[in-house]
Amino acid sequence: MSEQTGKQLSKEEKDARFEAELLPVLDPLYNFAYRLTLDEDDANDLVQETYLKAYRFFDYFEQGTNAKAWLFRILKNSFINEFRKKSKQPAKVDYSEVEGYYNSDDVEGEGGVATTTDMRTESVQDLIGDEVASALNALPVDFRTVIILCDLEGFTYEEMAKILDIPIGTVRSRLHRARNSLKEKLEKYAKSMGYNG
Amino acid sequence: MESKFTEAYQKISEDGHESECDKVARMLDLMIDGEASTEEQSYFNTHIEECIACFESHQKQKLLKGLVSGHLKRVIVPESLALSIKARIQVTV
Ligand SMILES: [Zn+2]
Repeated sequence: MSEQTGKQLSKEEKDARFEAELLPVLDPLYNFAYRLTLDEDDANDLVQETYLKAYRFFDYFEQGTNAKAWLFRILKNSFINEFRKKSKQPAKVDYSEVEGYYNSDDVEGEGGVATTTDMRTESVQDLIGDEVASALNALPVDFRTVIILCDLEGFTYEEMAKILDIPIGTVRSRLHRARNSLKEKLEKYAKSMGYNG
Repeated sequence: MESKFTEAYQKISEDGHESECDKVARMLDLMIDGEASTEEQSYFNTHIEECIACFESHQKQKLLKGLVSGHLKRVIVPESLALSIKARIQVTV
């Protein structure tokens, strides 16, 4: 820390700043971790690890800059570099193979589309949500990641490029391919429900 | 559903030149993600006012994005998580 020129924060000040600036990102960060790992315990570990790393490097975080993008980048790197190695799952498991374990609740018998009451509307909403989740979970993790970052978290292409350490052109083409696969999976579902896509 | 517009689109793209429809197709993601420049937006909007096929592709792409942003359920953060993070930070120098 001898290179640090500005005044050093006391631990109390640092902790207070850390909590005020970084903890509000907990919800999106946990959701991202969950969509990457598809496991609540793993998501929990990954998020804790991310915050501990962020704390260690907090002196290098510029106040007022994009805390959310910064944390997402740390989490993504942790996931790639360490988490996958020490994960309980066998190394060769492709995430698309885990699909079957997740969301095994069946959707039979809920085919109604034309809804009149609020109750009906709600159950159809849930049904669509479940279907989107299982289609998304069936995508390779790189595809899933860009869709989450863009459509769920609203990051710009430029922010995504920084989080993922790839050029913007790669962000665009990956997003395009990811959406095509998602579309394919959802169309299969629509057909199985009797709609003609 | 194969419209006459779709057929026309396929004929044009076979000759190897990039048609307006091809250009517009490449802009779809930029448009729905709000990343298109002002010129791209006006080019795109002018085209879809006259081309049903591209208009429909745009609607479908918006729908797809809306399915994720509007229907994917968020998972609830366990209450203990923020507490364990704070506790671990406190003992970290
Ligand atoms: Zn067109």
